[in-house]
Amino acid sequence: MDSSSIDNYQLQQLLNQEKQKAMLNEMVGKLTSACWDKCITGTPGSKFSSSETTCLTHCAQRYMDLSMLVMRRLQQ
Amino acid sequence: MDSFSSPSSGSSPKLSTDDIMEQLRTQLAQAYAEEFLETVRGKCFEKCITKPGSSLSGSESSCISRCIDRYIEATGIIGKALFSQR
Repeated sequence: MDSSSIDNYQLQQLLNQEKQKAMLNEMVGKLTSACWDKCITGTPGSKFSSSETTCLTHCAQRYMDLSMLVMRRLQQ
Repeated sequence: MDSFSSPSSGSSPKLSTDDIMEQLRTQLAQAYAEEFLETVRGKCFEKCITKPGSSLSGSESSCISRCIDRYIEATGIIGKALFSQR
């Protein structure tokens, strides 16, 4: 194949890759927004307190637990 | 198969696969950045501009810059919690 023609296979691969990236990106974005609202209650300081950091981590982990539970429940 | 590469007009230069991929990547990165910006704007407006005055006060602008830094940090923390555990 000469270099000027379009390689559909290569493009398809890129698109699949980017689709996955977009899904992960969206998930992180949504969760960050939700957990920010739950965990960062005061005005943002120059550094997160350890309780804020812990809350953010827990928030993301519990969300994963929740989505597993929801899936299992709906599969029954 | 050929719809991309067939020239629509004689004068436009042919795009190679690499060009198209490069354009896609750039546009996606732009879209991500815009979306992130919009979110940060909303969050920090909510946190820092509680009572809009006649101009942006010093404490408001320092709140905004801290808020942006913290939001970026929070995104990192969430990402790490989701993907680097278990």
